[in-house]
Amino acid sequence: MDWLIELLPLSYTNAVVLIGSVTIGITAGVLGSFAVLRERSLVGDAIAHATLPGVVIAFIASGAKDASTLAVGAALAGVAAALLIVGIERTGRLRPDAAIGVVLSAFFSLGIVLLTYVANFNNANQAGLDQYLFGQAAGLLEGDLVAMAALCLASLAIVAALLRPLRATLFDAEFAGSIGLPVRALELITMAALVVAVIVGVRTVGAILMVAMLIVPAVTARQFCDRLPTMLVAAGATGAVVGGSGALISESAALPTGPVVVLVGSGAAVCALLFAPRRGVAWNARRLIRDRRRAVTEGVLVDVETALHAGPPPTSTELMLASGRPRRALRRALRDLDRAGILERDGDRILLSEAGAAAAHAVLERRDLWHAWLEYGWKLELPDAREPDPSDLRGGLGDAAVERLRALAASEPTQ
Amino acid sequence: MSDDLAIVLTAGMVATACGLLGPLLVLRRAALLSDAVSHAVLPGIVAVFLLVGSRAPLPVIAGAAVFAVICVLLIDALRATGLVKVDAAIGLAFPALFALGVLGVTSFAKGVHLDLDATIYGEIAFTPFRTVELLGSELPRAVVLLSLVSLGNLLLLVLLWKELKLTSFDQGFAQTTGFSPGLVSRLLLIAVAVTAVTAFESVGAILVVTMLIVPAATAYLLSDRLVLMVGLAVAIGWIAAVVGHSSAAALDASIAGAMGLVASACFVLALAFAPRNGLIAVAMRSRRRRARLAQALAAGAERG
Repeated sequence: MDWLIELLPLSYTNAVVLIGSVTIGITAGVLGSFAVLRERSLVGDAIAHATLPGVVIAFIASGAKDASTLAVGAALAGVAAALLIVGIERTGRLRPDAAIGVVLSAFFSLGIVLLTYVANFNNANQAGLDQYLFGQAAGLLEGDLVAMAALCLASLAIVAALLRPLRATLFDAEFAGSIGLPVRALELITMAALVVAVIVGVRTVGAILMVAMLIVPAVTARQFCDRLPTMLVAAGATGAVVGGSGALISESAALPTGPVVVLVGSGAAVCALLFAPRRGVAWNARRLIRDRRRAVTEGVLVDVETALHAGPPPTSTELMLASGRPRRALRRALRDLDRAGILERDGDRILLSEAGAAAAHAVLERRDLWHAWLEYGWKLELPDAREPDPSDLRGGLGDAAVERLRALAASEPTQ
Repeated sequence: MSDDLAIVLTAGMVATACGLLGPLLVLRRAALLSDAVSHAVLPGIVAVFLLVGSRAPLPVIAGAAVFAVICVLLIDALRATGLVKVDAAIGLAFPALFALGVLGVTSFAKGVHLDLDATIYGEIAFTPFRTVELLGSELPRAVVLLSLVSLGNLLLLVLLWKELKLTSFDQGFAQTTGFSPGLVSRLLLIAVAVTAVTAFESVGAILVVTMLIVPAATAYLLSDRLVLMVGLAVAIGWIAAVVGHSSAAALDASIAGAMGLVASACFVLALAFAPRNGLIAVAMRSRRRRARLAQALAAGAERG
């Protein structure tokens, strides 16, 4: 680990904090993805709170406030909490959130009772035991880094080795069981790995903030990836970037590491939720606006065609009165049509160009086909039951089906 | 009023206020909302301290309530995007707010004794000493405040019972029949936020979190009807309050912790012995089913 610390152009403490944050980011990102996808995101919260009784019992048993003893107690309590959550869920009635909440409450209550018990025995040494939950990144030592890196590598290796069975269990536990996978064992392995990640993280960033470290990378990565392997890699990378940049910012601004890392991560997650291509809120809003505008433009094109059929070429005011469309929407649609070379002007009267007439015919034909599909589609007896895409019925149904649909519509005219 | 009675009454009113709302949260898969709110209020307390410079209860409650409401509305907005599930929405919102609060404490309020223990994490043992004058008699302030909150929650339930039930069980159906699930759920969330903040101040966060989740989860194991669930949740909360208080006195331990443990014990009992959903009932049912299947198979084999 020495070479890495010396390689970084930072002071010893800062280098240790940076390496620690990146390690936690990677581990929590990868392992947290399983929890988030399983709708158990807040398992980390319960495990983190459950460390309190573990720490106090370890203190009572050993009588010393030594970090590694307390960590062992915390880990054991965390494992117990995780097992209880899985057990309560498996009884079938309660969902993950209630199971997590009950275990969290029970363990934390136990922790508080034990704390008062210790305090009653006048042991002055106990002060600050509850501070364990808040974490202290600056207190990291090189030895801790080695342990963290080892745990990180071990859990990543387990995930990599068991990726296929883990994936089957994650997305369809019943299917996984039916093909003979040890579903319960696999679930326990992911939970155990999660406990390890939380215990390591709690020491550094604190219990509450560890909750975010498990969720933020997974949520961010999910917005960009649809496949589990790529999502796991992306979550690990996001965790590393968030942990690293948070650590650097906190060092230069002289702020505590944990909160800064969490705020950086939350910002990243919010950005992903807003701007991720194809999924993000802003992306969807833009698509909605574009689709609406296209629909209005198409409607205006049909209005022009209808007016030309009925009489002399219309003016834009006549179009507005006939269709009842708001003036602004109409003007924008006409501008869009002009730009596409679809309209010709005769003074303030509006005509269709040759391309415009073809386009209007295409729209009308598509509408007729859609009506025919709604009316007679059930008679087609298609080989597969998928709903075709309304905007491209011909592509979805195939030419033969479209011809039959036409024939049906022609033979049975509606009133 | 004796001190013991005051403490039990306070805890009982917390149980009432929380028991009324808890079952709805469990049904909506948002049981952990209480824990989220309990952490998200920190920046509100810090902000009040920076602006007003005081730790007087009323401004602190107001500041905390503002951030509690921000937290629940943030969670609701995140969930409404459809991109994350409720659990992840909760886990994204509250650590960020808590981190803001921690930064505020470390950069502006260093040296001042402003931490969670001292301000929002009230201590139930002190409730008898903080009293108000009401109708000519001295009453503990917490009991009065929490009774008002319970009354408010009861009113919400009575007025919006049908809507709450509908939106808790089937959001899509509620929307198609013309209710606004968003509005109803936001009202419920705000009620949770206000309840939690008021109760934190008098009894401490962990007891509130426990009272919102554990009795409701226990009631959910015992009953299929929402009315019964709400009644059971309140009753279990009261049992935890009474038994917890006397066992805390006997063991000389933390009162809130003991009440939490009693509630958890109720949950364990229900998990084991609940008439239809308990472990024993489920095991017996599956054994009977297996026996019946074996019998049917044997009969079939005889018939050839």
